[in-house]
Amino acid sequence: MIEVKNLVRTFKTGDRTIKPVNGVSFELEEGTLASIVGKSGSGKSTLLSLLGALDKPTSGDVVVNGVSLAGMPDGKLTEYRRRDIGFVFQQFNLIPNLSALDNVMLPMEFAGVRKPMRDQRARELLQQVQLDPEKHGRRINRLSGGEQQRVAIARALANEPKLILADEPTGNLDEQTGEHIIELLSSLSRDHNTTILVVTHDRQLANKTDRRFRLQQGRLTEEPARDRAGAAAGVEAGVGTAAV
Amino acid sequence: MSVLARSVGNAFRNKVRSAAVVAVLAVAIGLALAMLVANQAVGAKVQELNASVGTVLTVNPAGGQGFEGGGEPLTPAQAARAAGVPNVTAVVGTKALRLRNATEAAAQTAAGQTGGPGGGFGGPGGQSATLTTSLTVAVDAGTLGNRNQETGTTGATGTTQPVRSLPLTATGIGAEVDSTGKALELTEGTGLGDYTVSSTKALLGTTLAEKNNLAVGSTFTINSTTFTVVGLFDAGTAFGNNALYVTLPAAQALAELPDELSTMIVTVNSMENVDAAKSALQEALGSDKADVTQGQRNLETAVSSLDSVKNISFVAFVAALGTAGLIILLIMVMLVRERRREIGVLKAIGARNRTIGLQFVLEALVLVALGSAVGAAIASFASGGIASALVSSNTSTTAVAGRGAGVPGGTGFPGGGAGLPGGGPLGGASQLLTSVTASASPGVIAAGIAAVFGVAIIGALVPALLTARIRPIEVLRGE
Ligand SMILES: Nc1ncnc2c1ncn2[C@@H]1O[C@H](COP(=O)(O)OP(=O)(O)OP(=O)(O)O)[C@@H](O)[C@H]1O
Ligand SMILES: [Mg+2]
Repeated sequence: MIEVKNLVRTFKTGDRTIKPVNGVSFELEEGTLASIVGKSGSGKSTLLSLLGALDKPTSGDVVVNGVSLAGMPDGKLTEYRRRDIGFVFQQFNLIPNLSALDNVMLPMEFAGVRKPMRDQRARELLQQVQLDPEKHGRRINRLSGGEQQRVAIARALANEPKLILADEPTGNLDEQTGEHIIELLSSLSRDHNTTILVVTHDRQLANKTDRRFRLQQGRLTEEPARDRAGAAAGVEAGVGTAAV
Repeated sequence: MSVLARSVGNAFRNKVRSAAVVAVLAVAIGLALAMLVANQAVGAKVQELNASVGTVLTVNPAGGQGFEGGGEPLTPAQAARAAGVPNVTAVVGTKALRLRNATEAAAQTAAGQTGGPGGGFGGPGGQSATLTTSLTVAVDAGTLGNRNQETGTTGATGTTQPVRSLPLTATGIGAEVDSTGKALELTEGTGLGDYTVSSTKALLGTTLAEKNNLAVGSTFTINSTTFTVVGLFDAGTAFGNNALYVTLPAAQALAELPDELSTMIVTVNSMENVDAAKSALQEALGSDKADVTQGQRNLETAVSSLDSVKNISFVAFVAALGTAGLIILLIMVMLVRERRREIGVLKAIGARNRTIGLQFVLEALVLVALGSAVGAAIASFASGGIASALVSSNTSTTAVAGRGAGVPGGTGFPGGGAGLPGGGPLGGASQLLTSVTASASPGVIAAGIAAVFGVAIIGALVPALLTARIRPIEVLRGE
């Protein structure tokens, strides 16, 4: 379970202060597949980076399974990122001079998984994201955008994280492949009890999630779920509405 | 894919730049290694000079030298006093004897020439009576020899003497050193064993042994005593090799002067103390009793200029090493800046700071390893040239002085050549300087490369530590 408590992140640019995340609170149960939509520049990536401990909030806290990230030393935060988080970056952020396979193995190497094990698992993951086996050994900078995106997803799944944070994971994919990825994430949340939070502009993807959030002017509101039965409907998630 | 494999891969990521970095590193490392090799070679030479001739003082009876002059002979009591002087590490007494061929002596006596003092081979200096031997001298008298003997001939007869062979010098020595204090270089056989007791063992110069068809184990006579050749030595010069050594007591017994020394060879512990020891020695022995001379005076300047070459090469080594370290530092700082975002990615997916730091240090070491390989090749070609260039440019003036010292340095008695037995080093200051051979020994190169790696690690550590300060959020920043 992940609890987000009144999270604020402000940036100072010159004499202006912008507040892309300005008092966000919500809770996600384990195994939930949730989505965040919002205009470009609304702060979706910023929020995700706070949840993934890539960045530190100006105020507020994220509590993962009862443990607060706020007071955690850097070493522990690294461990949290390594073990508990799978991050799919909007810009993929793969290591360009390594092969697809090496990129997927990297988080496992940092986690101390033995070579034969990580090789096997990396191949399985690349197969799951439907990357052509003959491209497994190819260097990242010789792969297409969509192929890179799928390698990035495979990498995020490598250490079987409890929480997957995916920033536009289907942005560069054709409809069919995109659907397959949605199916993959969906099955992970169902079968492995993985909590998944996806940022997306893709209506189709958003509609398939258990819970749907909208980020607007630094605040998060929950929209009623449509497709998935049993999802919470019409609940206001934004807490910061009063604190303008 | 391990950290090491990744580091190697990263080192070749930008091949053109890596090649340029390796080339620059190779020059710096090559220079550092060449300087180290030169430093070692010169250092070894300085040590050699200091250890042998450079720190040796010769004590002669006041007013006498070799077989020339007068004065009172030196005594063992004086040797003991000399040994008590500060900084003196060894005092070796010698007793020189002049030998002449027995057959020739008999023929000359028959011809009416006297063999005593004032007649040819006597002991002008009064140091010894002439003894006879079965040995034949290995050096022809030649023009120099004849002229020397004529001028050396004084006394009763006053007539022009017929050409005859040169005398032979037998020296009784108190340790295994030649009459200039240099360690004897034995080419065959063994030393004399105990140099402090009288024995019938003898060491012969190679040419003398050859001339007389003697080998280790052969015998010859001096007066009526039979000596056995136990070893052959090579003094490096024809004159030096026309000599023989017996133990000091044996020589004293032959001369029937058991308590007399011709010279004392005093070794001082280091070059810097030679001057002080010389005056102290002169004082202890009394200037009316003994003359203390430093035969290799010119070598002192030679050694000091070699010393400065040694210092220059060491400074150059350190500077080149520092340059290599600086190159590594700058290139790694540049790489870290360039790969900020990638470092952010590694952190974002859970890499520890030390993993990333190690990766950068290893990457630097890959470049240094390549630079060292090329640099070592450069050094092995360049070090000889660099060493001799350094030596010749710093010692040209000394070399001239050294060469000039050769002739006055020959404080010789009548002889076919120049100087004392083993006179090579006397005239050889310039020779010693040019004989500094800088061969790139594997040990020195290995030590140099170890130093390079040490400096490289320090150079790479700073940028590697900088990576710890890069935050994972860099990953969201644009390039
Ligand atoms: N380090 C920063 N310094 C200053 N402003 C920043 C910084 N990072 C983000 N911002 C600003 O914060 C706002 C939110 O950025 P963010 O990347 O979270 O938007 P987004 O919702 O992910 O947009 P998109 O859908 O285009 O990816 C933007 O206006 C951006 O310019
Ligand atoms: Mg974004």
